Amino acid sequence: MRKLIAPILTLLLVLGLGAGIYVSVNEQLSKQSIVTVRGLIGSEKEDFFRDPLVVAALAKQGLTVEFEKAGSRQIATQYKLKDYDFAFPSGAPAAEKIKREASVNKAYEVFFTPMAVASWKMIAGILEANGLVKQREGIYYIIDMTRLLQLIAAEKRWSDLAKNDAYNVKKSLLMGTTDVRQSNSAAMYLSLASYILNNNNIVDSAAQIGPIIQPLESLFLRQGFVENSSAGPFKDYLVMGPGKAPLVMIYEAQYLEEASRANSGLNDAMALLYPEPTIFTKHILIPFNDKGERLGVALADDPELQKLALEHGFRNRDAAGFRNFLKSHNLAVPDTLVNVVEPPTFEILEQMITMIEQRYKGN
Amino acid sequence: MKTPLRFILFVFAVLTLSGCDGQKIASESLTVLAGSELKDMEPLLDDIESKTGIKLQMSYSGTLDGAEKLIAGGPTDLAWFSHGKYISLVQGDNNRILAQEKIMLSPVVLGVKESVAKAWGWVGNPNVTWRDIATKAANGELRYAMADPASSNSGFTALVGVATALSGSSDALSVKDIDKAQLGGFFKGQQLSAGSSGWLVDAFVKEQSRLNGIINYESVLMALNRDKRLEDSLVLIYPKEGIITADYPLMLINGEKREAYNKLVAYLTSPEFQQKIMEQTLRRPVIPQVKLSADFASNLLVELSFPNDLAAIDKLLFAYQDKHRRSSHAYFVLDVSGSMKGERLQELQTALKNLTGQDLTLSGRFNRFRSRETLTFIPFDNQVYPAKTFTINDPDSQSADMQAVRNYIDSLQPQGVTGIYQALQAAYRMALEARHKEPDRFYSIVLMTDGENNAGISEEGFAQYIASLPAQDQGIKTFTIQFGEAKQEAMKQLADITDGQLFDGRQSLNKAFKTIRGYQ
Repeated sequence: MRKLIAPILTLLLVLGLGAGIYVSVNEQLSKQSIVTVRGLIGSEKEDFFRDPLVVAALAKQGLTVEFEKAGSRQIATQYKLKDYDFAFPSGAPAAEKIKREASVNKAYEVFFTPMAVASWKMIAGILEANGLVKQREGIYYIIDMTRLLQLIAAEKRWSDLAKNDAYNVKKSLLMGTTDVRQSNSAAMYLSLASYILNNNNIVDSAAQIGPIIQPLESLFLRQGFVENSSAGPFKDYLVMGPGKAPLVMIYEAQYLEEASRANSGLNDAMALLYPEPTIFTKHILIPFNDKGERLGVALADDPELQKLALEHGFRNRDAAGFRNFLKSHNLAVPDTLVNVVEPPTFEILEQMITMIEQRYKGN
Repeated sequence: MKTPLRFILFVFAVLTLSGCDGQKIASESLTVLAGSELKDMEPLLDDIESKTGIKLQMSYSGTLDGAEKLIAGGPTDLAWFSHGKYISLVQGDNNRILAQEKIMLSPVVLGVKESVAKAWGWVGNPNVTWRDIATKAANGELRYAMADPASSNSGFTALVGVATALSGSSDALSVKDIDKAQLGGFFKGQQLSAGSSGWLVDAFVKEQSRLNGIINYESVLMALNRDKRLEDSLVLIYPKEGIITADYPLMLINGEKREAYNKLVAYLTSPEFQQKIMEQTLRRPVIPQVKLSADFASNLLVELSFPNDLAAIDKLLFAYQDKHRRSSHAYFVLDVSGSMKGERLQELQTALKNLTGQDLTLSGRFNRFRSRETLTFIPFDNQVYPAKTFTINDPDSQSADMQAVRNYIDSLQPQGVTGIYQALQAAYRMALEARHKEPDRFYSIVLMTDGENNAGISEEGFAQYIASLPAQDQGIKTFTIQFGEAKQEAMKQLADITDGQLFDGRQSLNKAFKTIRGYQ
């Protein structure tokens, strides 16, 4: 009996090893056709890249994505871009900054989203009573951005507003944002505010900055410590209530993505407000090598990935697809926005941010 | 035949083992530099390990201490403090935080004894302001415990919140606001300080008859209300101007651990774990999917802005230390017996001189001797030498006041044998006499010795002396520093007799003296 054991075990061993090698070679082969692409992304796109459907659609294109989150404007200044295959910030100015830093000309416009304000119905009600907000077809619009910005610049508090019983709080009237030095969503708010304070004109010369820089600074400096990336303030909005920040500047896509989730963190007391005018944020992928380019092409051109982007609340060329997304989740959102302004040029925006940065340093 | 069979079995065993081990190899250990208030997460660490395969090795540290370690490039995989804002500001461009995610929330609030809150109409009253609290503190009605802002995050957060609210500005605190904030009245009510939030709670329980309020994390106060030791439960006050909420960000420091970090964050912020945090540590969840339980106050929590200006925070901490807090009178009972000769005495002298403003680290700067502080040094060996008292009017490290302290410390000479208790008793007599004259100060005694008592009165004799003091003369704490051959057990007992605490100075006397500053 014992004499038999050894040969049988040997046979099993050989078979086992053979099978093992076969399986692992097979795995290697299938892995080889999938390329891992590493990049830096704005935090608001984390859930898109984590979505199993997105992962699968990318795998079909032979791609798997590994990412680190960063403030869109941080990407250009605080990372060694050579260590990555791509960057996927939010906002054309941040993309331009990265293109210059990395000396890259290529870029893929993948999708876009307007800036909007996450708030509460009771807050919208107070603003409505003060003539700042109006509802049209069940959608809140901030109809007088000029006066809202004037009130902010005059350092008014919520307790100074009329009919404020629901929120009679000594807090300053401010828009909650990210850090304008690090993050695109705050830079978009700066762009929008600069347009409005410049008598509804795009700031197009350094001479126009001087008269408005003081109120622009105060939009950010008075907030104190704020976060570097757009996901932070929106998470606070979802859990900390209106006591933290009653108005939060966000990407529309963040709100829509949350609204379409099965276990959404939004509730009936919450509301999304659209500034009039508002400003679009383009989400632009900048490749640093061939792998990055493959990802850029896939995200921009693959119909399945473009459709999945709609499911995460982004807008793209497929306007009908976006309307379908809204309809299927029963969302009261304007499917087209007409009153939209352009951001200033890269140089002008950088100049404004640099001036604000100086003030942060106490100069 | 024997050898091949064994060999084959061996190969099989290896193959089988390595196959099965796939799961276990994935488990890894991460070091965490953590704030001491996170000690209450210990019971959840096993759960984290079993769900993620990640073992967290916590090492605890105070606010400034932790920030200092991080900036100095101390090796750690992760950092976890009650908030990361100060660390972010103080690190400047030396960015060590590669990623951070909030894990849980707890605002810093005031707990007031229910009987007192009722009498003041503060129960269920949403209109109580920091101003109301400051008024009660200034007129002596409110007597509260609060941790030292330079040592503890709860104290630090409270100070920032109170100063912001009392400055009258509704924006983040700036340098110019700090002089406007009427903080003196508010801090008149602070009758107990401590270097850590946890110790503060125990001291509050021991002294609950003379105190009626305590500032701490909501979670700590809620836990205290479940504590049988409390005679009168606490009503939590969320002042109307606002509060500051700690958000406990988990920070990635070592980039090579990013994968494990992501996995950890995914589990820590999952509904399953968030529910556990809420139930077991009484902190609020960071995801809307976990609904706040009925144990928590559901009122509107107005959040004050946290300053983004390091100069403002520096100025505020110094204003607290040198201007607003009760002044203190600290007694240093110092062993200068023969065994201290050489390096030991030198180490002691350096540690003390560092407190005159010569230690330029973060913790050194904020733990130096303070303006309005009185210092009494009592050197001893087998006899107690004449005490020498200094008052600091100018806290600048180059001032004549600080120089005089340094000159004196340099003059200390070692000789004789060790008579601990008689020296301590002498310190008590002096401290009590001083307290009779000026009751509104903090009094504390530090005892540093490198040996055992072998002269003068015994421990029992000293314990009897303390016990024999009338009630109104109790309450001056002795903080003991273990050094050289001093016996830990004896030093701990000695601290316990006076409700003080033992600190280990064997690794660094410098650090021990700095840490004690939070209690003085």
